[in-house]
Amino acid sequence: MKKPLLLLACALCLLPSLKAQSFLQQGKVSGNIQMNAQYYIEDSVIGAEKIDNKVRTNTFANIQYQNGGFSAGLRYEYYAQPLIDFEKIGYVGEGIPYYYFAYTQDNMEIVLGSFYEQFGSGLTFRSYEDRNLGFDNATRGVKIKATPYKGITLTGVWGKQRNFFDYEGQVRGIDADISLNELSSKLGESDFRLRFGGNFVSKYEADNDPVYRLPENVGAFSGRAGLGYRHFNLNGEYAYKFNDPMALNDMVYKAGNALLLTASYAKKGLGVYLTGLRTDNFDFRTKRTALLNNNLINYIPTLTKEHTYALSSIYAYSSQPLGQMGFQAEVQYKIPKKTLLGGKYGTDVAVNYSRIHGIRKDTLASVLENGEGMEGTLGYTAPFGAAGPLFYEDFNIEIGHKFNKSWKLIMSYVYLDYNIEVIEGHPGEPNVQSHILIGDLTYKINNRQAVRMELQHLSTAQDDGNWAYAQVEYTVAPKWFVSVLDRWNYGNPVESKQVHYYNISGSFVHKASKITLGFGKQYEGILCVGGVCRQVPASYGMSLQVVTSF
Amino acid sequence: MKKLGFLVLLMAFWANACAQEGVLPLPSVNLKTLDGKKFNTSAIDNEGKPIIICFFATWCKPCMVELKTIAESYEDWQEETGVKLYAVSIDDSRSSGKVAPLVNGQSWEYEVLLDENSDFKRALNVGDIPHTFIVNGKKEIVYQHASYAPGVEQEYIEKVREILQQEN
Repeated sequence: MKKPLLLLACALCLLPSLKAQSFLQQGKVSGNIQMNAQYYIEDSVIGAEKIDNKVRTNTFANIQYQNGGFSAGLRYEYYAQPLIDFEKIGYVGEGIPYYYFAYTQDNMEIVLGSFYEQFGSGLTFRSYEDRNLGFDNATRGVKIKATPYKGITLTGVWGKQRNFFDYEGQVRGIDADISLNELSSKLGESDFRLRFGGNFVSKYEADNDPVYRLPENVGAFSGRAGLGYRHFNLNGEYAYKFNDPMALNDMVYKAGNALLLTASYAKKGLGVYLTGLRTDNFDFRTKRTALLNNNLINYIPTLTKEHTYALSSIYAYSSQPLGQMGFQAEVQYKIPKKTLLGGKYGTDVAVNYSRIHGIRKDTLASVLENGEGMEGTLGYTAPFGAAGPLFYEDFNIEIGHKFNKSWKLIMSYVYLDYNIEVIEGHPGEPNVQSHILIGDLTYKINNRQAVRMELQHLSTAQDDGNWAYAQVEYTVAPKWFVSVLDRWNYGNPVESKQVHYYNISGSFVHKASKITLGFGKQYEGILCVGGVCRQVPASYGMSLQVVTSF
Repeated sequence: MKKLGFLVLLMAFWANACAQEGVLPLPSVNLKTLDGKKFNTSAIDNEGKPIIICFFATWCKPCMVELKTIAESYEDWQEETGVKLYAVSIDDSRSSGKVAPLVNGQSWEYEVLLDENSDFKRALNVGDIPHTFIVNGKKEIVYQHASYAPGVEQEYIEKVREILQQEN
């Protein structure tokens, strides 16, 4: 990896001296830097362990060079002594795990090096990053995207896959996307919209298994279609994966499949969204022994609302690719202005419901007879419509209303039924049923200053019991931000664990730079962003974040 | 060896960064419109008038507050300055289907683009959202702001007015 870097460095060294050439003068450099640091204090009550190396940091910098159709970039990452939650998942190291050279012409894009890409909704292939989550499965290799004819896009990818500071495994894939409206000028004008797509992805992993003869090349394909008429949209994607025994599926040789359907309708003041998903044995990774979020090739979207308030996000669903089926429905309605319930500014109402089950898996008769478990067999059959146990249910309603120029209120109620046994892997624990109430009130003092207050309550008879939460935020736009919050587990069945998780923080923002200083306790739980979740350990201490982009 | 390469590279970038003048142009990246059509960001345009670009996601609370707040005065802003706002959603396939119902449901008059693979976000070095850019008539980024607090939108429209004054 050093050679291309040095070459790039030398090429760039020459740039200032060659400034006379107008081509080079057009080149632009941009980037960003982010540093998260924390000082850890031991707290045995909340489970914050004693840490020998008390001061830790996650730091990275992106630098990009762009000149007409040519661009190049890299990311330096310093995670040698990372934050404790990153260390726990194995995100430890230092270096330049991400660099690329790209050339874009009218109908062609070529990337050499690391890249992020997604086919369709990601069921068969998605390389993606979420820096806050410590998730990065960038592909390093070649990506070519071509539009041979207006409305037709072909994408080819070939490369190794990032797993923390290594690149491992091999993935290659090709995707075609056809938009009929762009293809035909007649359809282009019409209210109907139609597009199709399909792809094939395969991975390679050598077979060194002493017992089984494992497939070294495993393929998956998917087909998708999208239909639109005015404000109505219907999308569907079906994916299939050939036999792929791995640790997570008990070394079963059964093929996998996934189906995702989405429909939406909207008109002025009203939006309706419906989506359904079923997956069976659809965990797709470059390594058969991989666990957690490691070595993932694809992405199975989570069909639940992404809750953002502290207490409603304690029990967040995380996608179960090995077997799940469910749906989500959401209606958004804006009660018009100048009506009794709408008031002067109108009132926003959003109702959302989702329900996800496991799928029923009937073990094959031959496996039962054999009595030696599923390993090395075709395992089970899963009839399409047959549901397994409840994994997750979520009913929530949110009402937002602005009373006048100064006062704004958001009220929310959430009911969750959470299968902690499956989602968090706590064997034998009962489902957690919780009711959550949230009030979020903003008072605008004047054009620049505002105070926001959040009150939340979660009640449940299971797990850690009841929680109460209060937060006050004071902002002076555009530069200052102060927040004080307390999250109190007053209903914990263990009295000594009825802890106040308080946090005080302040930020200073200047244009694209932000500095945040905080002090407090972090609750041990699951952090989810965009449907990818990971465990966050309890911690106590001081944190500093510096972000800038240039 | 690795470190040396990186250092040299960093210095080279630094030298270039210092050598370049003024402001950044908008990068060219392929996004999608709400109809699912391909949209290249080089087509972001407002006939020589200023442009505001807001990055958002349906699951991002402060982003929603920001866009809803601006929507209240967007008509006045447009009348006064001719400014155009592009709202760029970074929702991925989990929630990108919710963007169209949201935008129509809220009756937003913004130009809305889908950045499902976060390509535009990366090209503009955006970390966390919300993140807002103000672009002048020559399609150069002249101002950006990370995060949102009530009242920040006043800063945006003031910047737009400044651009108009400078360009006239």
